[in-house]
Amino acid sequence: MINFREGFYADIRIEDRSSTVIAYKAGVLENMKNRLEKQAFLRVYDGKLWYYASVTDVEHLQETLDGLYAAGTANPDILKDPIVRRFEVNRDRRMSFEDCSVRDITLKEKQALLKGYLPLLSENECIKMSQATYLDRNSVFTFISSLGADINFDYQTCGLSVSFDMTEGEKQFSGSWQQGGTCFDEAKGHEDEIRATIEEQYRYMRDSVPVEPGKYPVVLSPEAAGVFAHESFGHKSEADFMLSDETMKAEWQLGKTVGSPILSIVDSGEVPGTGFTPYDDEGTKARKNYLIKNGKLAGRLHSAMTAAMLDEGLTGNARAVSCDFEPIVRMTATYIEGGELDFDELIAPIEKGYFIKHINHGSGMSTFTIAPNVCYEIVNGKLGRPVQISVITGSVFETLGRIDGLTKEVEQLSFITGGCGKMEQYPLPVGFGGPFVRVSEMNVQ
Amino acid sequence: MEKEFIKNTEKNITLNVTAGRIDSFRRTEKTTGTVRVYENGCIGVAGCIGEPNEEELTKRATEALEFAIPYPEKLEGALELEQRHDEEIIPIHELIPTMQAFLDRLGKECPNFAFSNKIGLEYTSTEYVNSKGRRLFCSGGEVNTSLLVQNRGSGNVFDTFLGWKGDSFDADALITQFKKEYDAFFKRVDIEPGRYPIVIDISTVLYRFANHFIGELYAAGASLLSGKLGEKIFSDKLSVMSDMNAETTPGACFFDAEGCVSAPDFRPCIVENGVLKGLLTCKKSADTFNIPNIGTAQAAYDGVPGVGLSGLYVSPTAKSLKQLVQGKAIYVVMAEGGDATPDGHFASPAQLAYLMEDGELVGRLGDINFGGNFFELFGKDYIGAVRDEPLKGSSLCAFMMDVSKG
Repeated sequence: MINFREGFYADIRIEDRSSTVIAYKAGVLENMKNRLEKQAFLRVYDGKLWYYASVTDVEHLQETLDGLYAAGTANPDILKDPIVRRFEVNRDRRMSFEDCSVRDITLKEKQALLKGYLPLLSENECIKMSQATYLDRNSVFTFISSLGADINFDYQTCGLSVSFDMTEGEKQFSGSWQQGGTCFDEAKGHEDEIRATIEEQYRYMRDSVPVEPGKYPVVLSPEAAGVFAHESFGHKSEADFMLSDETMKAEWQLGKTVGSPILSIVDSGEVPGTGFTPYDDEGTKARKNYLIKNGKLAGRLHSAMTAAMLDEGLTGNARAVSCDFEPIVRMTATYIEGGELDFDELIAPIEKGYFIKHINHGSGMSTFTIAPNVCYEIVNGKLGRPVQISVITGSVFETLGRIDGLTKEVEQLSFITGGCGKMEQYPLPVGFGGPFVRVSEMNVQ
Repeated sequence: MEKEFIKNTEKNITLNVTAGRIDSFRRTEKTTGTVRVYENGCIGVAGCIGEPNEEELTKRATEALEFAIPYPEKLEGALELEQRHDEEIIPIHELIPTMQAFLDRLGKECPNFAFSNKIGLEYTSTEYVNSKGRRLFCSGGEVNTSLLVQNRGSGNVFDTFLGWKGDSFDADALITQFKKEYDAFFKRVDIEPGRYPIVIDISTVLYRFANHFIGELYAAGASLLSGKLGEKIFSDKLSVMSDMNAETTPGACFFDAEGCVSAPDFRPCIVENGVLKGLLTCKKSADTFNIPNIGTAQAAYDGVPGVGLSGLYVSPTAKSLKQLVQGKAIYVVMAEGGDATPDGHFASPAQLAYLMEDGELVGRLGDINFGGNFFELFGKDYIGAVRDEPLKGSSLCAFMMDVSKG
């Protein structure tokens, strides 16, 4: 039982995390561990300054909390503070993974699953080095606050990652495949998919030709489109970047046209997968938030502090990568909504352009970048030869305005490795998604 | 049975800055413990968060031997060495007033910029002991300013960055240098596409090729460098080391995760005068592929050691930026999102670049793209490196590159 003091706002977030890593390199076991961690993050606010502590000793939280109280100054008007008034006071128990917890699967079972895939990495003699990894995480969160919030919920991810380095003569290629899900059974039965990926990436290494740099129409796969949405616009929707510059609110006025009229971008913690966030780390319930709707700026992502300072509503986006850090404004699952076309209809009008199928990474400021991994040329409305592209770039807003086609089909993707980075906090699991997206012009190098 | 025991402690104070004002104070302290045991060609690992109980960890590590994870029993021999660099940099109770005064001055000097993000004070200590008689201890501290800078009215998440870390805090030097960038930021200049000296932090370029330096890929023939160990493949002027020397990388630990020490300079060599001298390995990959281990392994507190790389040290070839690049050059401050094709062609956009003339900032360039080929960039197109410019602790390199407009 925690005793909260009057004159302050305070909350405590506790995470009980189990995570497993099993890794093989070149068919040899390299790592196998199950890590159990329990940690807490405490926050106290006196209306002027926030005081934070991260502790692994969760048995003595009252002492830590009292230490934070001692650093602050009691404020009789704390409940009138605009940030404190924003906080939701939810009481809920939402356990989604109790019936399929990865904690109930033995290390031996997890190892056997991964071992079953290893022979696939020896089938192509061009593979000179390979790595196969099984990863899972089950977290049980508890959140309580001085306002009376009391929430318990869980989060789970489970998946496989395979990477391989191929050579043939002078040609080299680093290929990869991964599957991210939420339950152990979803990691079974991917043999055909892995085999097809290796075959495609082998052909890419063997046959790809250098691109002729220039400006071309580009079609992005759901993977590339999802990363583009996240990097190019999702980060700009994080409201904390608006706090330092008083001109930003006018610059980013809701309703302003920021993209093509067919473009809508959503962020939602309700989407199953790696971005699933039923409650954020301030106890705010998830909801569907439009960032862009029909080309117009429709909303932004908030913590209680940014919502109070910009006088807008909460969105459920105050997140921390772990109990080492305070929650800051982050995305959950960010995706572009679908359109009206089939894939063939999407590429049909393109005389000369490129299809970005898989990517290595992306980034987005005023200029965004996508570093493709596997891409193809589009010639006279048909997919053609594989091509080598270092990077595609463009102005974010010009590119958002040049989106002129979307498929009906939308894919939601979960990556089991990596995650989103924002300054000191990396990697945060997030979801990506979208349809196939056609952009009338991008800078291809 | 051979054994290693490692204890690591980190103490951090982190201030959050919003609109030039400090609005939070975070204190964290984390201790981890590790025991690794070796028997019959296998490794067993156990780790904990919190004060380690060596006996209990040893028991768990011994049980983990049943996983049969192959690892060579090649512990480093007897050596006792200790380095303490943990003098107090700023008293904790003075941190907020010191940094708020710094931010206030910065705001006055650069009124069109808005500053946010973190300022931190970090102290770490690492103890390594093994059953062969090796006993090492290293402690260090650093102050770290990591400020995002918005040009008011730009609408951007951030426009530039004020990042610096060191074992002392010199507000005057930081503000004076940043003011030069501020003045240049508002002078728009242009260049014609062509070939220019690009001045940049070497990690922006080299890390895009880091996998080619990994021992396993090298041995598998999957690296652009395969078969070239010991050969001169780059410019005479290029010498690159992993920097584990606290004098040049404050906070660096002088030994790696397996207790390897690159005495006397604590900088394991990767390239020396253009000759490929070392690859990134751990004891296992070095043993498996019969490659010399240079001693840069890293490991999670509960994980098996693997290949790692800390900071880079590039041997300086010039005493000043002016001496490094005379005439026109481009100083790239931010270049996110670049990459290289499998055959070694590197390309990147520059989110922020300045035109320099004889080492002095002239003005800000519009969007540009730059790039080149791996062997040429570090070969005939490598111009050289300078240290402690523009600030103490900085390290910049210069390459001739193709530049186009974005």
